[in-house]
Amino acid sequence: MAGVTAGTLLSSCAAPRTPVPAATGGDPWRRFAGAEINVISENTAPTAAIAADLAPFTQLTGVKVNIVSLELQALVQRVALDMAGGQAQYDVIYADPYQVLAPYHDGLADLREFIDDRTYPPLEGGLGDFVPTQLAAAGSFGDGGQVYALPYDAPTMVWQYRADLFAKYRSRMEAELGFDPTPGPERTWEEYRKIAEWFNGVDDVPYGTGHQAKQHDSLMCDFSNVLWSYGGDYFENGQELGLKGSTTPGRCLLREPAAVEAAEFYRSLVSIAHPGSLGWDWDGVGTALRAGQIAMAPNWHEYAASNESVLPGKVEYAPLPRGPHRSANIYGGTGIGISANSSGARRGAAWLFVNWATSPGTQLSNLKSKVGGGTPTRNSLYELPEAKAAMHRPSALPNMLTATAVGAAWEAERIGLRPKIPMWNECDTALFTELSRMLAGQQTAKDAMNRAADRIDRIVARGWAA
Amino acid sequence: MSATRTDAPAKRAAVVRASGGNPRRKERIGFTGWLMAPSVGLLGLLSIVPLVALIAMSFSRVRLLGGVRFEWVGLDNWARALGDPELWKSWGLTIGYFLGTLGVEMALGLAIALLISRVTRGRGPLMVLVLLPMFVAPSIVGLLGRYLVDPTFGLYAWFLRGFGFGGDVLGNPTTAFLAVTLMDVWEWTPLIVLIALAGLTSVNPSVLEAAALDGAGSWATLRHVILPSISGILLVALLIRSMDAVRYFDIITVTTNGGPADATKIVPLRLFETGFRFFDLGYAAVIGLMMLAVTIAVARLFVRLLNGKAAQS
Repeated sequence: MAGVTAGTLLSSCAAPRTPVPAATGGDPWRRFAGAEINVISENTAPTAAIAADLAPFTQLTGVKVNIVSLELQALVQRVALDMAGGQAQYDVIYADPYQVLAPYHDGLADLREFIDDRTYPPLEGGLGDFVPTQLAAAGSFGDGGQVYALPYDAPTMVWQYRADLFAKYRSRMEAELGFDPTPGPERTWEEYRKIAEWFNGVDDVPYGTGHQAKQHDSLMCDFSNVLWSYGGDYFENGQELGLKGSTTPGRCLLREPAAVEAAEFYRSLVSIAHPGSLGWDWDGVGTALRAGQIAMAPNWHEYAASNESVLPGKVEYAPLPRGPHRSANIYGGTGIGISANSSGARRGAAWLFVNWATSPGTQLSNLKSKVGGGTPTRNSLYELPEAKAAMHRPSALPNMLTATAVGAAWEAERIGLRPKIPMWNECDTALFTELSRMLAGQQTAKDAMNRAADRIDRIVARGWAA
Repeated sequence: MSATRTDAPAKRAAVVRASGGNPRRKERIGFTGWLMAPSVGLLGLLSIVPLVALIAMSFSRVRLLGGVRFEWVGLDNWARALGDPELWKSWGLTIGYFLGTLGVEMALGLAIALLISRVTRGRGPLMVLVLLPMFVAPSIVGLLGRYLVDPTFGLYAWFLRGFGFGGDVLGNPTTAFLAVTLMDVWEWTPLIVLIALAGLTSVNPSVLEAAALDGAGSWATLRHVILPSISGILLVALLIRSMDAVRYFDIITVTTNGGPADATKIVPLRLFETGFRFFDLGYAAVIGLMMLAVTIAVARLFVRLLNGKAAQS
């Protein structure tokens, strides 16, 4: 590619950044009273909870907050165009690690600027209070040590199953299948498939398992759990790449035998799943489980609150089964950061909001919210007596019912991290399209992996455009 | 028409005479021209500037961060488009979808219009019922369709299970393509009905009576009397719908988003994905320009057919 600049047709309108007003003493939380900031977020449970009750923050700081809550793709578009405009329409940004942080980290402020500045209120518990893998995966990019975002939510895929049906049929299943069917990381994916097939033959539920196998990001997430557990990966040093990120990930590894074996298994698993699986994303799987259409499924743990409200006491959670290599549970958490273009009092006020929104107190409030929920990212929160009590029924904070399962899933040997590369969105699309073709019977598992790898290599070779 | 053609040179001569015998003076912008100039100029600006920017983008790599910048890459984006099998598959699907929807909508719309034209009592309420889908927003049509064929709670899925189809309509490449095509047919056939009905009212009743007296049956009357009489207006309907069909987006986005197995990823979806998901704006500009060229070609084809019709009559 010729690196010749043809001309700047629409130049940035960014004015030189106004410095943050100096501290004048007094309450550091009130330092930017009267400022007004805009927050853009995906329409997730914690944002719904915060948006429904902003009064505590406004009373604490005197800062007015406007929250724009959008579907993720719409959010990514707005953030990209806002950064191109250079005006920081949005001060606080929901920075999805793969769709915002990796491609646009240069447009985000390094939060150490605020964390290390003693004129701001201190970050409660410090950075060490965040789950370490989440802080690295959702907050950093590259080896520079910058912190672009603080972990804000932490949805992770776990095994969700109808405990009532497992209890009812446990001894019969054990006798007929020849193994203890109790869900957990000691179960294998082969055993998961056998359990699903077994449930296909009982009257209580139409199908044993359901999958988010629509041609969508969800298909990549669902498949990745199997891929990693079979020892496959997208690139060399996949876990490292997921934690740190890179713009040059190297050659795609999906052609390797482990990836092909994983794809073959995944195809066979979906073939016995609820036929609706081919049209479901994570919402579809969640709805099907709650509607009594399936006995179990891998899905994001943030659905626990909805499950509990529809099927109280009937759904339990465990880490996903293991393959020949390990048990892998894909992490889908996100951080919130500050636009590098935000300036003046708004920049300081944006940090106050990020600090407050990720604090243990706010995360606990989110868990209690009637309109939201939450998937806390602070270690200290999980140690609170109130939170510990909620891990068992009857639970006032139903998302905490998953705490044991996700706690195990977040351990370094179990967490699944997709590649944090700027062009992941396009690679993801190439992969789930080829997987969708495989599931539709248009190609074999080997062809699907080879074609996906070829496409991903071409995308990576082109580099990141924006 | 022929009289108009014969008169045209004479009229031009009259204009030249009225302008003092100088043919160049008739080209001067008159008072009405000056009145229209600001709006025409603005319209030109709004059309030409984006078009020029789009063409420039198609030869560039577009950088967003730190202000929009175009980096010249020559014909890279065009070469990539010409050699991209996924894009050509999308063009194939677009043509299939284009022919499928237009064909079914025209045939069904005309048939319904012919039936309604024979109804004398209760025609008003019937028209309201028939036209209703047209007033629903396309994204709502998509949502409605998605819920109706949902394998967990969908009414149509329940009916289909009764006929032995237990799969997911939107999860199978063939049925998904048929489903999104039929959703568009459901929404826009009423427009063809409306336009065809307007055409049918203009058919001379005495010609129909004469055809009946000559012993022409229903099919012969339709083929030799009605269709030739309303073919002009049907071409207009075809032109309107074809412009929409090339840009079909909403329903597919809401239902399948291009899947399964890319079976419904027609070109507008690929354009959106390239531009606003991957932010590969240079390549998206190429796809956009290809769509523009196809739209202009289709429009010119229909306009030429319409001109031919006008010349014949």
